[in-house]
Amino acid sequence: MKRISKKAIALTMAGALALAACGGDDGGTDAPSTDAPATEAPSTEAPTDSDAPTTEAPAPAGWTVDTSECVDPDAANAPIEGTIKIGSAMPLSGSTAAIAFAPVKDGYEAYIDWANEQGILDGVTIEVQIEDDQYNKDLTPGAVEKLLDSGVSLFSGIIGTPNNAAVRDILNEECYPQLFSLTGSKNFGQPEDYPWTTGILIEYSVESRAYAKAISDKFGGSANVALFTVNNEFGQEYVEAFEAVAPDFGISIVAEETQEATDGTPPVSQLNSIASKAPDAIVAVPLGAACAAFLTEVANAKAANPGWSPEIYLTATCSSSLILSLAGANATGLYTSSNLVDVLDPESAALPAVAEYIAYMESLGKGDIITTANAGWHTAEMTVKIIKQAMESPDGLTRASIINAARNFDQTGSLARPGVRLKSVGIEDPFYSESLQIMQYDAETKLFTDIGELITDFEG
Amino acid sequence: MDRFFQYVFDGLSFGAIYALLALGLVVVFRGTGHLNFAQGEMAMFCTFLTWQYNAWGAPLVVAVLLGMLTGFVLGAGTEVSLIRSVAKKSEAGVFVVSIALFLGLNSLAGMIWGNLPPEGMASLFPDAPTDFARIFGAVWRYEYIGILVVALVLMGLLFLLFAKTKFGLAMRSVASNPESARLVGIPTGVVLASSWGIAGAMGALAGTLVAGANGEVHPGLMFSVFIYASAAATLGGFDSPGGAVIAGLSIGVGEQLAAGYAPGWIGQELRLGVALVIIFVVLLFKPSGLFGSVKVQRV
Amino acid sequence: MWKIKEGSTQHWALRLVGVAIIFVAVIWVPTQMSTSRIGQFSDAFVLIIAAMSLNLVLGFTGMISIGHSAFFGLGGYTAAILIKDHGWSPGYTFYASAVIAFVAGCVIALPALRIKGIYLALVTLAVAVLFPVLVKWKKLVWLTDGAKGIDSVRYDDLPVWPILGELKGRDGRAVFAYWLAFIVLVVTYLVCRGIVKSRFGRSLVAIRDNETAAAVMGVNVTTAKVLVFGISASLCSLAGVLSTLRTGVITPEGQYVTLLGSIVFLLIMVVGGAGTLWGPIVGGLVYVWLDNTTRGFGSESDGVIGFLFGWADQSPATMILGIALIVIMFAAPFGLVGLIKKVWVKLVVVVPRPAGTSVAMTAVEVGR
Repeated sequence: MKRISKKAIALTMAGALALAACGGDDGGTDAPSTDAPATEAPSTEAPTDSDAPTTEAPAPAGWTVDTSECVDPDAANAPIEGTIKIGSAMPLSGSTAAIAFAPVKDGYEAYIDWANEQGILDGVTIEVQIEDDQYNKDLTPGAVEKLLDSGVSLFSGIIGTPNNAAVRDILNEECYPQLFSLTGSKNFGQPEDYPWTTGILIEYSVESRAYAKAISDKFGGSANVALFTVNNEFGQEYVEAFEAVAPDFGISIVAEETQEATDGTPPVSQLNSIASKAPDAIVAVPLGAACAAFLTEVANAKAANPGWSPEIYLTATCSSSLILSLAGANATGLYTSSNLVDVLDPESAALPAVAEYIAYMESLGKGDIITTANAGWHTAEMTVKIIKQAMESPDGLTRASIINAARNFDQTGSLARPGVRLKSVGIEDPFYSESLQIMQYDAETKLFTDIGELITDFEG
Repeated sequence: MDRFFQYVFDGLSFGAIYALLALGLVVVFRGTGHLNFAQGEMAMFCTFLTWQYNAWGAPLVVAVLLGMLTGFVLGAGTEVSLIRSVAKKSEAGVFVVSIALFLGLNSLAGMIWGNLPPEGMASLFPDAPTDFARIFGAVWRYEYIGILVVALVLMGLLFLLFAKTKFGLAMRSVASNPESARLVGIPTGVVLASSWGIAGAMGALAGTLVAGANGEVHPGLMFSVFIYASAAATLGGFDSPGGAVIAGLSIGVGEQLAAGYAPGWIGQELRLGVALVIIFVVLLFKPSGLFGSVKVQRV
Repeated sequence: MWKIKEGSTQHWALRLVGVAIIFVAVIWVPTQMSTSRIGQFSDAFVLIIAAMSLNLVLGFTGMISIGHSAFFGLGGYTAAILIKDHGWSPGYTFYASAVIAFVAGCVIALPALRIKGIYLALVTLAVAVLFPVLVKWKKLVWLTDGAKGIDSVRYDDLPVWPILGELKGRDGRAVFAYWLAFIVLVVTYLVCRGIVKSRFGRSLVAIRDNETAAAVMGVNVTTAKVLVFGISASLCSLAGVLSTLRTGVITPEGQYVTLLGSIVFLLIMVVGGAGTLWGPIVGGLVYVWLDNTTRGFGSESDGVIGFLFGWADQSPATMILGIALIVIMFAAPFGLVGLIKKVWVKLVVVVPRPAGTSVAMTAVEVGR
């Protein structure tokens, strides 16, 4: 008992230190640190039965998952041979989200085919099965149960915060890795409570911080900013993240306007209202098709208010030239961010790995969706890298070794920008992508220009 | 004061869009006594077709006319093939079939155009950022003035159609009593089909205008517009084109004023709520809308 | 064709066989089927409960409502808030939701007293659209958590029930969710059946067939309408609680909480058979089966399905549902249950007791 509590204290201390270290230079992660007391309880129990060396703060490769609490610990540690099956649930029909995400599925499946052709995993065939949950969280558990029954060993790239939340408990109880949940919500960085669940998209607070810093630098330490967001869980999380970092950079938020995800009319009055406050910059988080309509209304509002020319910072989810080209000339000069290369940029497209991607998509007759399918390709590639790392680990390929690999991971993807690493260190740093590049869009060439250096100093 | 006018103009702009779709609902109700739940989705589908004609090379105006023609055929065809026989059996049946159309058309649009890169939709009116008039210090865009004019012209045409033509008279008699209308020699079938056809054509036009204002067309385009339009039609009394337009514009202006002057309490998030609460209250006191004719019920 | 007398031994035997089949099926599902199938059944039960509640209002009383998604959401949110913020045990939230939704239903029914037909449809549409708007309203964020919704709402440890024993893992949770939904379904069915077979139920049908005539005949139309709407809302909220407990998440954008949910409930009720007690049950099972089967159709399908839908960018699931709805309206206006009855009647005819037969009459006959 004594030994256990010592371990627990050491671990909790380590966790607290990591959080404090983050909090030191990162106001954005304040919120998780306030959650710490609530999440302490499980963390003090988790390591008790594990044979991991936990008497000192975990070394980089030290974190291992505790399978003793699993419903079937033996299954979680059973070797996977011959074929490994990856499952996912994405919106492929029924809602407006389908338009944005159906190409993600195509890119995902394309990579898996490509990887099998190349024999990336020695002696192991990869299968992938992606179910359609229509972005309806009531359908996600059914889709995941179906996948589990058909022998899936891990999940990767389930899209949507509520959809991931709807299956998180079951997957953690059953001990199936739930990798790269496509959500930026910080609720998905709770490895103490949900050791089997990891996130992928740039966490909102990271992007918020990057934008806040860029705006602050531009306007000499203080600026008036307006927020324009979609009125759903995505937009609300973003607003909270930005509000949290704004004071650190001398930014005052002078207007907050929202738009419904289902709105059929453009955000005319929202922009009129924002224009009346004449902010220096607008940080905008519209959804899918609304990205272009927002830019058009900004241009309209600028024309109606001579002398006012705000800088536009658009969320990374809009940063596809497929979407931005809809806005025509109105999109010129906006700032956005990404951690993937712009595949339309001839310079990037010449990179061997990117050229391989484009050629493979074109051979499938899907050359027209390469700017959105890249997210799927990237997710699939990183998933396979994790599987490969697990295969090479001393434990061999098991569900537990997959999540251990995922949580002690430091790799780069072929479509990622040079310098971007997907890195995860045990439970201290559960978020992968914390580096991103701010870019400016040029509507005429439909290309992005990098602004400043790749930002990597948010890495916890 | 210019803030006030800005809210009014914004309201009139959106109100005109609501009114346009509401007029289609009114035509169907007036001619057949039914609520077409699929009005918005039919409009969305025809807008995609308009976009497709345009993409195939037809000039925009021609594409819009072709789209309206398709809308007429779609509307009339729906009435003849689906609505007519169900209507004989039950009123709720028509409602259910229109819901089936709502689901089917939305899904079909996704099946056909779903994975295409979203495409831009050109506007029928000048819509460059500088195309606006400044009135009392507030901005009113030509595009929305154009939409309002279209709505008013259509309202006028419908008024003439209902009040001054034999067809309008026939519509009224068919809606109130199809049996006796047939007995006095009115071609009820033609009247019913044309009502749905006209509504379909008007929907196609409305959809194209909404898509032009958004700069793009997607399967979710008309969903919220339909809700506003049905609110406008309800408030206006469902059988009066003037009522629908006045109600549409009042809802537009009302929600903007409420959202603009009470940003803390209402704001943009509750705009739709304001519109719906208005209907609720109006229907409570006038169960057949502001301008609707009261029907006498017989046992 | 087989003629049997009502109340005869054969009749009772037939009934017994029917009950036995259902009994076996209900036990077969959670014990013999795969976990995902069990899950599909509990999903179906949730929708069946919602459709049954709608049936009470629309099918039996003739009041069009497309606002039931709001009651579904009300139930779901009541459960989520009570469990998450007030530490309630999930089981008790069923009662709380039922009471709250009953009151809300009665209040919303008040305007419905004066409004009829499509105007009523539009008022209820307003209710359906308003609900998510209100949940996201910034003045209510303290209660509802706004657009983010509430997550991690569930049984942390499943209660141990007799017979079922201790349940663990996803299999256990699926079995538990199945029985929980089944119990609520049975309760809902019994409430509906009790109402429909009672004097109150007959007055509802009288209102549906001719409201004015019903009033003339002494039916208290006001009370009946308000009461039935309240009960219906209350039952629908139970489905909402089940849905929240199954996924552990509720957000204002969730499909069954928005207008689309009302449309799904309506679809199930109509496909199964509006105004019949078994309609929603048959409709719900068919809906979930059809939805799960057709959602995967598309470019990767082979054979006929691939030929039909291989070109489609998105799955044709929703379109197939729409077509099914239209086919039902034409081929079987009384839904699948009506169709089954039609076929059944050709096979077996139950000859009813002579009208007016009662115990007294029988006694007289015996005495003679």
